[in-house]
Amino acid sequence: MCPARLAPMNASQNVILLTIDTLRADVLGCCGGHLGLSPFIDSLAASGMRYSRAQAAGPYTQASFPGILTSSYYLDHQDHGKGRTLSRERVVISEPLRKAGVATAAFHSNPYLSAFFGWNRGWDVFYDSMQDQVSDEVPFIQAPAINARVDRWLGAHAAAGRKPFFLWTHYMDMHEPYVPEQKHVDAVDPGLRLSSQEMLGLFKNTLLPRDVSDPGKVETLRKLYLANLRKIDDCVKEFFDILERHGALEDSTIIVTSDHGDEFGEHGGLSHDGCMRSELLHVPLLVLNAPGSPKGVCDRLAGGADIPPTILELFGLPAESRFQGRSLLSPDDEAARGVFSEAMGKRGRQKDTDRPVYCYREEDLRVSYLAEEDRWELFDLAADPAEKRNLMDCSPRAGEMKAGLAPRIDRKRT
Amino acid sequence: MPEKPAVRLSPERISELEAKVAKSKEIFGQAYDRFPVGDLRMIWSGGKDSTLALWICRAFCRERKLSMPTSFTIDEGDCFEEIDRLLRDYAREWGLQLDWGRNDDVLRAAGHTLMADVEVSSLSERNQAEIRRIGMGDLTRFPFEAESYIGNHLMKTVVFNAYVEEKGVRAVFQGLRWDEQAARTDDEYFDDVPAGELTPAHTRIRPILHFSERDVWDATLHFGIPFCPLYAQGYRSLGAKTTSGRLSDVPAWEQNLAATPERAGRRQDKEATMERLRKLGYM
Repeated sequence: MCPARLAPMNASQNVILLTIDTLRADVLGCCGGHLGLSPFIDSLAASGMRYSRAQAAGPYTQASFPGILTSSYYLDHQDHGKGRTLSRERVVISEPLRKAGVATAAFHSNPYLSAFFGWNRGWDVFYDSMQDQVSDEVPFIQAPAINARVDRWLGAHAAAGRKPFFLWTHYMDMHEPYVPEQKHVDAVDPGLRLSSQEMLGLFKNTLLPRDVSDPGKVETLRKLYLANLRKIDDCVKEFFDILERHGALEDSTIIVTSDHGDEFGEHGGLSHDGCMRSELLHVPLLVLNAPGSPKGVCDRLAGGADIPPTILELFGLPAESRFQGRSLLSPDDEAARGVFSEAMGKRGRQKDTDRPVYCYREEDLRVSYLAEEDRWELFDLAADPAEKRNLMDCSPRAGEMKAGLAPRIDRKRT
Repeated sequence: MPEKPAVRLSPERISELEAKVAKSKEIFGQAYDRFPVGDLRMIWSGGKDSTLALWICRAFCRERKLSMPTSFTIDEGDCFEEIDRLLRDYAREWGLQLDWGRNDDVLRAAGHTLMADVEVSSLSERNQAEIRRIGMGDLTRFPFEAESYIGNHLMKTVVFNAYVEEKGVRAVFQGLRWDEQAARTDDEYFDDVPAGELTPAHTRIRPILHFSERDVWDATLHFGIPFCPLYAQGYRSLGAKTTSGRLSDVPAWEQNLAATPERAGRRQDKEATMERLRKLGYM
């Protein structure tokens, strides 16, 4: 049930989408974590709506972002191979918005979402950082530099006469290689002292080969990841300070989410591969400062693909027929159906021989199909949050759940 | 130059283009207020965007009776003959001072041959330091290309930085555009680049920021601005010779500009993206 209903905004209001790459939900205090590393994000959650059952459309960026920005699924189109450009069949949320007169701006540094791969459609301003210099230690433009661009754009936008805007900002700072500053490591474990070369060594020799044989190294990787959370929480605070300084906070509905989580050996893996488990699929989803300031925790199922239709409805714009998600503004009973995720079942680098993995969630049941092994899995996420007991052969709902997913498997792709 | 193609624009469209040109002249005016002309350079690649910027600069200087800034072009070792000819012909015709930048050290090490192996140890200390700086310090040799990650850095970025430093350049005009960009403040036209490890501080000025690809073509054809004949053969964007492609035989200005990406034929975007993915461990 949801404590309050979201409603469309008045004209002249804005939508801001803040996505944080690789942020798993359970490390946040607001999502039940006990680490105390995310005080600002936790305070945001307390001020708005938090969707406690939000599931990414896929377990890594290429599989998830078609949901978040195009309300479609990764395997809908054959544009997911090496170097293929985003299919024209997908509608980027920026496209209908710009057509409707909304100013659209994007600031990010994820190469998989770059102009080269076709994600620059429909944006008035699209910054993907690909022409900027980065180091080996941190091979992406970091959140403070992204924030500086947002700051400059908001200033320019305000000066240019302020039509409603849609701003998408994405941070890469949680993503491997984890090379946090010592002050952020101290917040997690003051006894942990590693040089950046040692951190890169863990990245190259343990994380990249997905070597979980040494639990000590896996635990160190987890701590370095958490240190990045301490950093990103400050960056999110800085982002909100910038919005406030430009007067953009009061006029905007802000959606905060992640594209996927990260694994630390829970199911034998590291980083984020084609594994349909909660450490990768359970993401935070906050809707802040929506009209009427609804607050609380909403337990309706929400998927990444629900974000674009939500944005259209917030702006009071007509629904886009090619969007496959459901607006979060729609009544709860419409959300009773489940949510899907899908990906190629890669481990480490993508290979031509990778086979798809699909999953479908209803309430707390999640069914998956792994084409590689022709295997079905069914987990009860409430009773078995660690996803250790496959109920496929014993649950009375197994057949029904399988039927819910079946139409997506081996469907025709264009 | 191919025969001048016919272009028919509405009076409204013409005044729109004139307003865009006037806006660019305003930016040139601000630049001349901020910097003496000797400290300014016009980056001129011979492509349609920088040639438009140069043409507007020339019109501005003639109106104000000011001297033109020196132009600067980079020969990355893989240049189209058609571009080379346009640069030389119009530098002469318009009486421009045109400086050429080259990374002679790398060209020598490659024997002026594309795809030839370059031994890193045979390069100058500066070039070796640059290779380390971009995180390729493990490399002992690489094939010479203009638009690979390493080639792009050595043949363009390094040459540009060295030129700025040697000549004491304080600001450069670039033909960069923000396509279909809504109104922006003037701040966006001036980008102060702070000094870095091997980068001298300078200001990048983008006088045609507000032109879209369509605007560039309409202005080029309407005002009779010279352009490289390769565009008439279907090229939309010209980079290095061996890595620029065309998707169509139709002249660039007759293609459906909105439906196809301008830089689709360009290698350097791919290289930059692939390099990031490699560093993230994905390649």
